[in-house]
Amino acid sequence: MKADKRHPITKAECPFGFRWPVAASLVTAFLLLTGCDGIQAALTPNSPGAERIAEIAWILFIGAAVIFIAVMALTLYAMIARPGRGGWIGSGALIIGGGLIFPVVTLSALLIYTLDAAGVMTAPAEGNPLRIEVIGHMWWWEVRYLDEDGNVAFVSANEVRVPVGRPVTAAVSTADVIHSFWVPNLAGKIDMIPGRVNDVTFQAEEPGTFRGQCAEYCGAQHAKMAFFVVAEEPERFARWFEHQSGPAREPQTPFITRGRDLFLSSGCGACHTVRGTPAAGRIGPDLTHVGSRVSIAAGILDNHIGTLEAWIANSQRIKPENRMPSFDVFEGEDLRAIAAYLESLK
Amino acid sequence: MKRTLIILAVLIALFGAGAFTLAWSGIYNVAASTGHLAVTRWFLEFGMRNSVETHALGIEVPPLDDPSLFYRGLGHYQGGCAPCHGAPGEGRNPITRQMLPPPPYLANTIEHWSAAELFWIVKHGIKYAGMPAWVAQQRDDEVWAVVAFLQRLPEMEPEEYRRVSESQATSQIEGTPEERARLLAVAGSAGESLVACARCHGLRGAGGGEGGFPRLAGQSFEYLQHALESYAVGSRPSGIMQPVAAELSEAERRNIAEYYAGIEDAPYPPKPQVADRETLQQGAALVANGAPEQGVPACVTCHGPSAAVAPDPVYPSLVGQYAEYIALQLELWRSGKRGGGSYSEIMATIAEQLTDEQIRAVSLYYASLRPGEAPQAAAESLGERLDAPSVVPDDRN
Repeated sequence: MKADKRHPITKAECPFGFRWPVAASLVTAFLLLTGCDGIQAALTPNSPGAERIAEIAWILFIGAAVIFIAVMALTLYAMIARPGRGGWIGSGALIIGGGLIFPVVTLSALLIYTLDAAGVMTAPAEGNPLRIEVIGHMWWWEVRYLDEDGNVAFVSANEVRVPVGRPVTAAVSTADVIHSFWVPNLAGKIDMIPGRVNDVTFQAEEPGTFRGQCAEYCGAQHAKMAFFVVAEEPERFARWFEHQSGPAREPQTPFITRGRDLFLSSGCGACHTVRGTPAAGRIGPDLTHVGSRVSIAAGILDNHIGTLEAWIANSQRIKPENRMPSFDVFEGEDLRAIAAYLESLK
Repeated sequence: MKRTLIILAVLIALFGAGAFTLAWSGIYNVAASTGHLAVTRWFLEFGMRNSVETHALGIEVPPLDDPSLFYRGLGHYQGGCAPCHGAPGEGRNPITRQMLPPPPYLANTIEHWSAAELFWIVKHGIKYAGMPAWVAQQRDDEVWAVVAFLQRLPEMEPEEYRRVSESQATSQIEGTPEERARLLAVAGSAGESLVACARCHGLRGAGGGEGGFPRLAGQSFEYLQHALESYAVGSRPSGIMQPVAAELSEAERRNIAEYYAGIEDAPYPPKPQVADRETLQQGAALVANGAPEQGVPACVTCHGPSAAVAPDPVYPSLVGQYAEYIALQLELWRSGKRGGGSYSEIMATIAEQLTDEQIRAVSLYYASLRPGEAPQAAAESLGERLDAPSVVPDDRN
């Protein structure tokens, strides 16, 4: 039995030649990699920690590709080598060297290298970091901003704003089950574990909006537990921080006043806080400046009057089993007034 | 063998054809006036009794000694059952006595049945006998209330029956016949339909029946109308309230809601005796602050007392409401049986989170409140989120 006669496909039999699987793999890899570009992408890092992760990813990807090709080449050679020519593949030296010493050395080196990178990400930030606390809830994110003295300056939700060029330390925890804080372009994953506070440090280098996603399955709506990180210039951030620390805007028009009154009389304040009003609930997101956020419902809907109406009247259809009941009880105009009020809370 | 089978099949076919011919010809007399042959009556009763006994196997009887159950059963019995089955000291309706089979006078026959069998009969009704099934099949609690009353029926003298049916709401609280006549006159156009409501809820909406009947006085027109409409269309299931509400026209329901919403001087029952202070304190804390870690918002925001912002009038006030009623509603929500439309869906998400202990505490606390009175246990002001401690321990800050 001769190996060279037994090869399953020869070039003459394969209509597209040998190149098509190679070309298809390259196209697929390219498409997959272009999917890694954007606002939720580990391969376009925007912070030192995320850069290290991307670097590790590339080293692993290229290293694994080289090793894979080498092993495949040896396998192919073993199949097609003339009898008596491939004996060196079975030699003790290659088995011990390639099968034992090489993996031990490579994996040990990788371990040291990745532990070093992880140390960088969890090390306390140098200088004067912005400190925030992120608390996972089923299924949204509570975000507290601390002032210079470590007291809570204000509370927001489903959005993290950070200044460019300044380190940020996020103390992450959970109010219920295990969640995981992950903003691929910037930081994480870091698990939010009941009874524990984990720290993660990152520093946005360029302004931009990035998407974060819960990365630990946490229940029916895990996929709809996202948030946005907005990185902006320090002056802009300082103005934003000061504004967010203040109370909610007073209604400016009769229609919005009607919305505020309905918001309060319908009991929304039992779960939501709007600073400057009697609404002081602590169950759902703080809505004091909800109109200023990029998204609502934990990163799943754009933020405007239409989506706000949809969410109020239909939250259980949009995100079944979340804690917010559908308030399918308002006349159209009333619903619009409440949504207009929330939209006005810039 | 084959031959026997063929003969058998032919006989069966002949029998079927004969029965069909009999029915088709109209010779068989379906008149109720002629009654059944003795043997037919025996056979039908034999079949019925065994069917009930078999189907009632495995039904677990809950405790039936709560007086609110007895009164709820009594209230329904007077309107829903007595017209056919009679009541102690009351003349029986000659029309229903001409039914076939005639509805039995229950005081004489009830002791032949166990509680589980009575439950099965009241819930499912009896085919071909004119006994209807319970309107709201999911409301076993109501059916048990009727059973709780039925079990006491045989021992009741006419005198006692009259006493309990009057003391439950109407007469004890409303006083003299003259006073009753005056209230009915005040009710004006609602007066006629008011009689059915007042049987349980009283002419002044004070409720009663040891908590079997909720207070209606003090509720808003919006809430009462919404409740009546929900019963009338069946979105809030109740074998007791649905028939009453559905019988009224929309205008009558509106009048009744207006009438009860306008009453301000309905008397209150004595406050519930609560042995342990902790229960009331727990209730007060839940009402004022909710249980945020459980996802339970503060009751006060929508149900009083003295919410920071006047709540939408469609939310019921719970101040001074009977504890038995509040607890029953919360349990119905928790088991997904409350119904009542979109507003009810809101409450369902909250009630689902409550424990038995919390339901008891919050119900007793509300029942112990009276309008205008300072809440018993000083409720902390609604905690501001900013007061909450930072999650990072001090030594790390």
